[in-house]
Amino acid sequence: MVIQANNISMCYRMTYDRVQSIKEYLVQLVKGNIKYEEFWALRDVSFEVRSGEVLGIIGHNGAGKSTLLKVISGILKPTAGSISVSGTVVPMLELGSGFDFDLTGRENIFLNGAILGYSEEFLNDKYDEIVEFSELGNFIDVPLRNYSSGMVMRLAFSVATVVNPDILIVDEILAVGDAEFQEKSKKRMLELMGGGTTVLFVSHSIEQIREMCDQVLWLDHGQAKMLGETRIVCDAYEGV
Amino acid sequence: MNQKTLMKVCSVALVVYVLLAVAFYFICGDQLKFRDNTTDMLSANGVIGEITSDVVLSQKIDLSGDRLIGLTLYGATYERQNTGILRVELYSDDKLIALSDVDVSGLADNALFYVPFNMEDISGVKTAELRISAPEGVSGNAVTLYVGNTYQAAHNQIDAGLGVDDLLLINGVASDIALCMSINTRDILSLGTYYWQIAFGFALILAVYFAWILRRYKQGKGSMFLNVIDAFYRYKYLIKQLVARDFKAKYKRSVLGILWSFLNPLLTMTVQYIVFSTLFKSDIPNFALYLLSGIVCFNFFNEATTMALSSIVGNASLITKVYVPKYIYPLTRVVSSTVNLLLALIPLFVVMILTGSPFTFSLLLVPLCVICLFAVALGIGLFLSSAMVFFRDTQFLWGVVSMLWMYATPIFYPESIIPEKFMTLYKCNPLYHIIRFLRIVLMDGLSPEPKAYLLMIIISFVPLIIGSVVFKKTQDRFVLNI
Repeated sequence: MVIQANNISMCYRMTYDRVQSIKEYLVQLVKGNIKYEEFWALRDVSFEVRSGEVLGIIGHNGAGKSTLLKVISGILKPTAGSISVSGTVVPMLELGSGFDFDLTGRENIFLNGAILGYSEEFLNDKYDEIVEFSELGNFIDVPLRNYSSGMVMRLAFSVATVVNPDILIVDEILAVGDAEFQEKSKKRMLELMGGGTTVLFVSHSIEQIREMCDQVLWLDHGQAKMLGETRIVCDAYEGV
Repeated sequence: MNQKTLMKVCSVALVVYVLLAVAFYFICGDQLKFRDNTTDMLSANGVIGEITSDVVLSQKIDLSGDRLIGLTLYGATYERQNTGILRVELYSDDKLIALSDVDVSGLADNALFYVPFNMEDISGVKTAELRISAPEGVSGNAVTLYVGNTYQAAHNQIDAGLGVDDLLLINGVASDIALCMSINTRDILSLGTYYWQIAFGFALILAVYFAWILRRYKQGKGSMFLNVIDAFYRYKYLIKQLVARDFKAKYKRSVLGILWSFLNPLLTMTVQYIVFSTLFKSDIPNFALYLLSGIVCFNFFNEATTMALSSIVGNASLITKVYVPKYIYPLTRVVSSTVNLLLALIPLFVVMILTGSPFTFSLLLVPLCVICLFAVALGIGLFLSSAMVFFRDTQFLWGVVSMLWMYATPIFYPESIIPEKFMTLYKCNPLYHIIRFLRIVLMDGLSPEPKAYLLMIIISFVPLIIGSVVFKKTQDRFVLNI
């Protein structure tokens, strides 16, 4: 079992005004104004994923899909329940995290790569491949602040998808850049997902889910409404 | 992490320990085996007149320490060349314990007379009676000694508070003053005597610990040491990249760039040097080096903690998107400040050369100071960064606290002006110990006494432990609050 989740619950405590100073806190406390509203983004979600399996996660906005991905990638610690993940996780949640716009493209490849957990040897090996895929050419030695937004996304995508992780976490298939690059990036993504790695895949496109996944988890208001074979779950989801 | 790497790390750690233990013995040299003490001398107020053969001076003195090295008297020769000897004897319960004859022909006028002894064992003696006589002294061919009843403190004379027992007796008649003298004694330190046994003991403990870790590893169990090594291997490249980014970001688009790392402490020192050596007359020897060593240490502390403070909040966008152990963020900030500190040590060495300070092997102890500074800054940085997440007031509060901290550390003022009642407070300040240690190493070219090591290391690691515990306990809630 590569991923095993047992009864994961995630609770956010929401205050209406976020109190961020001691004085404010004390004033509010005296007034009796500190009110928390508990919001359960996830409640008792359990599932397991075997090596090489592709798990699709579907559900409406606010169903807890992104929270679940964050819990699996270790960013959030669940309020209750336990999760065990064995292997390197590469989350493709938001591209270009940690880009520094004053550094050059080259420096950012190494910085962003290090943040994603790549080793030095790996980055040195794959450097040429990343530059080639991003089609940045000579711009690679220019500070990022002079890039167009499309160029930044292309670089981010190229760094993020160069890996062969044990577990890949995908929040929607990313298609960035112009039409041509979109085609190319989509192909790369599908290649990665079909390459035998374990994948957790969130999408609003039922077509893609049907096409890619071995099993599907349907989340509804933080609870697992259905977990099972792709066809059955997707049919039920579309029937609603 | 495989077994081979683990064994390599363990054996390297053992070899490093042995090398350090041996190197330490030679760097410390005599300071490890004994400590010499010198008592303060009274300020000279007058002379007692010629010490001729019919004069016997006697005075009770307090002794501490294990061996008697010598005695320094302040005397005068009436601007002439005298002959004969000055006999200095020490009696304990009317038993002679030390005797020294000084040839007065070698003495200069208005100078310190050094009276050497032969390392007599005085470990059981608390007070003794000092007798000074000149068996061959005749009027016109005798020396005299200075006496007084006050101490010099900064620019003032303070009353020495001499008791009845402390006063000088001339031929058995009490006067109202005491001799100007200081006593040199030596404490024999047990650490030096048993150094190799202690070092070997620690080596054994270390070896047993490593064996235990290896055994646990083979059983598939983890240990704290293993986790630390593992994290180090995994995240060293990330730390390197983040430190490089900090540096590039810091000096980007500045004309002088990295030169500022040298210039900043030098310019601060120059300004403070001018202020404190002209406006407030300071009588600290080699004030430039004294000041710069304090400034370099405190600047590092201030920069590292202030940068670490905002490390979690400032990296919010990363923390909510990618999983990286959260301690990496304050850690990298402190590491970049440490690189800066190492650069700032270069102007410190330049000032040492310019002021003609001794370059000895004890300079090899500077890394120990850097390690302790690092531990203090990291500990406080961890604490502040996690406090900052929950209360944003921390940043403003810390501005005030760090200023207070600066004044509570002897950076530009001498240690001697610290009032006795505040000394306990100073002793709790890790920076006080580190800066004091560094100054002994840089200015005297000596290794400090073993107690200074112990105090510095223990008090420096207390904040690290507190900071780590607080950080570990709160880190899971960071994401929800940034």
